[in-house]
Order: sequence, then structure tokens, then C-alpha cells
Amino acid sequence: MEKTIYIRMRTRLHVFPNQSVYLKDIAQIISSEHIFQELSMLPVYKVSPKDNNLIVLDIMKVIGFITERYPAIEIQTMGAPQTIIEVVYKRNKLSPVFVVLIWFLLFLGAALTIMNFHEDVSMQEVQQRLYTIMTGKYEAKPLLFQIPYSFGIGLGMILFFNHLFRKRINEEPSPLEVEMFNYQQALDQYVAVNENKESIKQLDDH
Amino acid sequence: MLFVILSGFAGGLAVGAGLVAFLTVLGILPRLTQLSKTIKFLKWYEWAVVLGAVTGTIGSLQDPILHLPAFLLIPMGLAGGVFVGLLAAALTEVLNVLPILAKRVGIQDKIILLLMGIVLGKVFGSLFQWIYFVDR
Repeated sequence: MEKTIYIRMRTRLHVFPNQSVYLKDIAQIISSEHIFQELSMLPVYKVSPKDNNLIVLDIMKVIGFITERYPAIEIQTMGAPQTIIEVVYKRNKLSPVFVVLIWFLLFLGAALTIMNFHEDVSMQEVQQRLYTIMTGKYEAKPLLFQIPYSFGIGLGMILFFNHLFRKRINEEPSPLEVEMFNYQQALDQYVAVNENKESIKQLDDH
Repeated sequence: MLFVILSGFAGGLAVGAGLVAFLTVLGILPRLTQLSKTIKFLKWYEWAVVLGAVTGTIGSLQDPILHLPAFLLIPMGLAGGVFVGLLAAALTEVLNVLPILAKRVGIQDKIILLLMGIVLGKVFGSLFQWIYFVDR
């Protein structure tokens, strides 16, 4: 008898408020055909307005739902032990004024830090000396060196992040994207443990 | 005499190790080789860093005068700038500023915008300093 089903929880799921979540939404399923339809429409969660925007659905709960309906079935699970359900509320669009403000914050911050760095390491003196070493003449403002240098800074940063104003130099993800991914992963991990009521058991639970 | 040689050597050893450790943490060489797909030349790149550091040391200690044409400073400036830019970008990345900021203000899809803000800020700040700020 083909009484074994395989399920694999998805890592993340986006839902709308008040949406019902079915088994097929939160997991990949492999089972015999005649129960597949029923199984995939098995309701596992109903998002209610009093939920936070992050809900963690533990695999044990899901197994509970399935065995309740199909006691004779054997469940093989693989992959993540929980799914993080993110409720997408209608977000009020970030106003362009705000974006411009942040942009200027970063712009001026970056400009100030590079100037402070140059002052800190006496860049002007070093460049004057370099000019003298190369040409034998003294130049108070060695702009011949400094202007390419300034554009080079921008070029170097773009090179590092592998972005040429929306255009990729090659296919690999940039360190920034990897960093974003890692950060999201760490957040998910935290949420999976801390928002999941099943994974932490308090001693004085009553 | 022997003590002076020994302490000079020890100091140099520490500074050299520090420089390499710094570059390793920031991962600029791996990044460049990954971008250009030239892993097999990594040894050469390492030597470039070492020789560059030694040349710089000699240059700053001995004050040689080479009497070369001034236009050679243009590619040197550009290369120096690219290196500092790589350093700055690597430092920003290590500090993890951008992912957190983008997540907080909820503009993950416009992160390139933030990036461009920082890049243009650096270029502007540097130009402003050399052309205007140093005279004040």
C-alpha cells in the first residue's frame, strides 16, 4: 500500500490578512494520486486580524493535522522544520521625500567620511610627496593625481559591489546581495525560534 | 647595533603582518579574482601587494627623485583611487550598514539607490576636498 507521503516545508510564505492557508501553500507534497488533491487542500491555518505579521507554523502541528485526518498514513518530512508565514498588510508607499532625505543622508555622510579619512592619513602631504618623487617638482595641489584618484574611488566601489548603474559586470551575486540574504536568513532563524511557542518551554508554565 | 636591527625588523614584521591581515579581512583580493575569474594568478597578486608595500616603504623613507613625466600620475591616481574605493566598499560591507538600513526603511528593492548615494558621495567629497577645501 502506498501509505507514505513526503512533505517538505517551504521556508517562507507571503499571505494576505484573513487568508486561509492550505497544506499546499506551506509545503511541497509527494503522495499517491487519490489523496493528493484532498491533502493539498487541507486547511492548516487561518490568518486572523490579531496575528502579528509573522507567524511560525511548526512541522509538528502540520503532522498533527494530517494524522488527525488520515490516521493510517506515514509521514516522511524533510527540509526545514517550520514555515515562516509573513502577513503582507497593505503598506503605505514610502514617500519620495523620505527616500530623497535618506539619499542625501548617505551622500553627505559618505562625502564627510572620505574627507575625514584623507585628513586623518595626511593624504594631501603624501600626494604632494609622490608628485615630487615622480617629477622632481613641488606642487601644492597635485590635481593631476587627485582628480583621477577621486573618480577611481567611485569606480572601485562599483567594482566591488559589481553594479554599473543597474548593469551587471557578471552574473554572480554581489557581496551586498549575499549580505542581504545572510541578514534575512539570520532574522528568519531568530523568528523561527522565538516566535514559535512550541520550541521554548518555560519552567513555570501554567 | 644588533638591537636596533632586531627591533626594526620586528617592527616591520608586525606592520607587514598587520597589513596583510587587514587586506584578508576585507577580502579585496578574492573579490577581484572572482570578478575577473583569474584564480590561477592569485600568487602574482599577492606578490604585487608585497612588492607594492616594499616600494612604498622605500619611497617614503629614501625620498628618491625619478624625473618622470607628470602625466604618469594620472593612471597612478586612478589605480590608487580604485584601491581606496575597494577598501571603502569592503569596509561598508563588513559593517553591514546597507542591509540593515534598507530593511529598516523598507526599500530593499531600491538598495542600488542607496549604494549610488554612497558612491557619488565619496566621489563628490573627494573632489570637493582637493579642489576647494584644501585652500581654505
